[in-house]
Amino acid sequence: MHDADAINLATLPPRQLKEFLTNTVRPDDGFIPAYIFSHPVIHQLEMEKIFMTQWLFLAHESELPKVGDFVTRDLGGHSVIISRGQDNQVRIFLNMCRHRGMRLCRDDRGNEGAFHCPYHGFTYSNLGLLTGVPFQRDIYGDGFDKQNFGLIQAKVEIWAGLIFGTWSANPPSVKEFLGPMAWYLDLVVNRAEMEVTGPPQRWVVNASWKLGADNFVHDSYHTMYTHASIAKLGMVPAADYSKQGYQIDCGQGHGLNFGTPTPDFIFPQNLMDEYRSRLTSEQFSALSTMKNMIGTVFPNLSFLISATTFKGSRISNTTLRTWIPKGPGQVEVLAWVLTERNATPEWKEASLQSSMFTFSPSGIFEQDDMENFIDITANSRGALPLRDNIAFAYLAGLGRQPVEQFPWPGTAYDSKFLEHNARSFYRAWLKAVTSGGE
Amino acid sequence: MERLLLQYEVEQWLYREAEYLDHLDFQSWLALMAQDVVYQMPICMNVADTRSAQDYSRETFIFNDDRNTLQMRVDRLNTDFAWAESPPSRTRRLVTNVRLVEVEPEITVLCNVLIYRSRGADIEADLISGERKDVLRREGDSLKLVRRWFLIDQTTINTRNFAIFV
Ligand code: FES
Ligand SMILES: [Fe+2]
Repeated sequence: MHDADAINLATLPPRQLKEFLTNTVRPDDGFIPAYIFSHPVIHQLEMEKIFMTQWLFLAHESELPKVGDFVTRDLGGHSVIISRGQDNQVRIFLNMCRHRGMRLCRDDRGNEGAFHCPYHGFTYSNLGLLTGVPFQRDIYGDGFDKQNFGLIQAKVEIWAGLIFGTWSANPPSVKEFLGPMAWYLDLVVNRAEMEVTGPPQRWVVNASWKLGADNFVHDSYHTMYTHASIAKLGMVPAADYSKQGYQIDCGQGHGLNFGTPTPDFIFPQNLMDEYRSRLTSEQFSALSTMKNMIGTVFPNLSFLISATTFKGSRISNTTLRTWIPKGPGQVEVLAWVLTERNATPEWKEASLQSSMFTFSPSGIFEQDDMENFIDITANSRGALPLRDNIAFAYLAGLGRQPVEQFPWPGTAYDSKFLEHNARSFYRAWLKAVTSGGE
Repeated sequence: MERLLLQYEVEQWLYREAEYLDHLDFQSWLALMAQDVVYQMPICMNVADTRSAQDYSRETFIFNDDRNTLQMRVDRLNTDFAWAESPPSRTRRLVTNVRLVEVEPEITVLCNVLIYRSRGADIEADLISGERKDVLRREGDSLKLVRRWFLIDQTTINTRNFAIFV
């Protein structure tokens, strides 16, 4: 007997690659193989089948309050400009000049009526139209129709202040895409008028984007050990603080953990009327019993409402983040903090501070999470995971029945220490990466 | 002459602080902090129309700490569960270009800082470069840090976290 060779994914024909994926990624049995967290072929497939087709979160509307405001972000591996044009419409432009492909805008944000290309000076309005070509007549004569060379645009939809973009030609509506998740996302970004507290934090680490999305979609189990230091500091009452509540599967890979009950209302008390007027009565009752809430919108938008004791009082913070793949096993994290526009300045400041102290590159939760994601990604590399088909156990709660007559949307399971949502996430993932072809 | 002595004293203070951090002597480091210390590191951004200075956010910080939260960070590092620094990174802080800006009533000092950080067996170390603006106050016969402002030379952070101090 001799050892089998590791399979070479790069030389597999598409149909066999699909087969291999279907045989090794087995969410229904609770097994997820290691190789998918760093393999270059998987990365390529994800970029093509997921990040070029899905709705992806790009920016919050409050980042573009005025006509002419723009930010630059990544959409499916391509630099894009998200611009509020002269007509007040938000558009997404590929950040590429139509003349020779120069990057049009090199700023993270700003306010411009027009974008000037640094190479030959083509000018585009913030509506995306090519408006100026230096010496056009001398150089091109009459044979150049500017109308044909407007900026390339991605589809855009704004849902509750969230600006989503996609390269898909025929996407469903964002509401359809979100399904039951919309109801919960309302609690995060639409419970009151919300605004970002500033530009997002950005950092790049050598970890798979999926590990972040996977952690947020289901994993409250890790808090007990990874974040044991937090309980030691007295910021949460006990290490198993995050067990009680529901794991809720919202379909299409979206899912969340809803922590409940809560000893107190974790949002600004003086905004009760605003919450009541914007939410349905069921949503308001959910908000009132919320201890914390964490989830992922497939593929890579995660959210978190976390309440901790910080400087002697309980304060909650609300954050959004995207896990943007930068290469096989490398991710860029963008993280935004949101607060109620009508909260008191003191509340906003305290919420922002507690958020940066817990979830940011210096955050005392965040740092330990990242440590896990980085080392798992490193372990997933190399020949052995493929050769011996090393898979991880996503078994918790397999076969468990959902809560009957759950009053809120989605399929709920009693307890947050389950791995149900992760299985659903990888089911959606597998479906996406094996879609199309032949 | 007095200015020269002060320059020397401040430089020695900065070197000692760097030594405490590089040697993981966080208790001695905390003792250098004033009770009312404000310890901040904003994020930086690429913006074209700032010709004169690096643009940074007034709202989004990587560190926005006071004495209390610095103490919590140190307490955390002393638990058995501070995974991000377990085992600890090897860091070397190079503190240079020390410039006294103000000497009365408190001392304002600018300096350049390069932090070398090596984690685990990784052969690619992180380099964190930036400018500090510190305010020091004389308390008894020692100097205490009242304010730290660290302007990092990066818009996208390339170190896995800031489980270390700057
Ligand atoms: S590449 Fe933009 S003007 Fe030529
Ligand atoms: Fe975590």
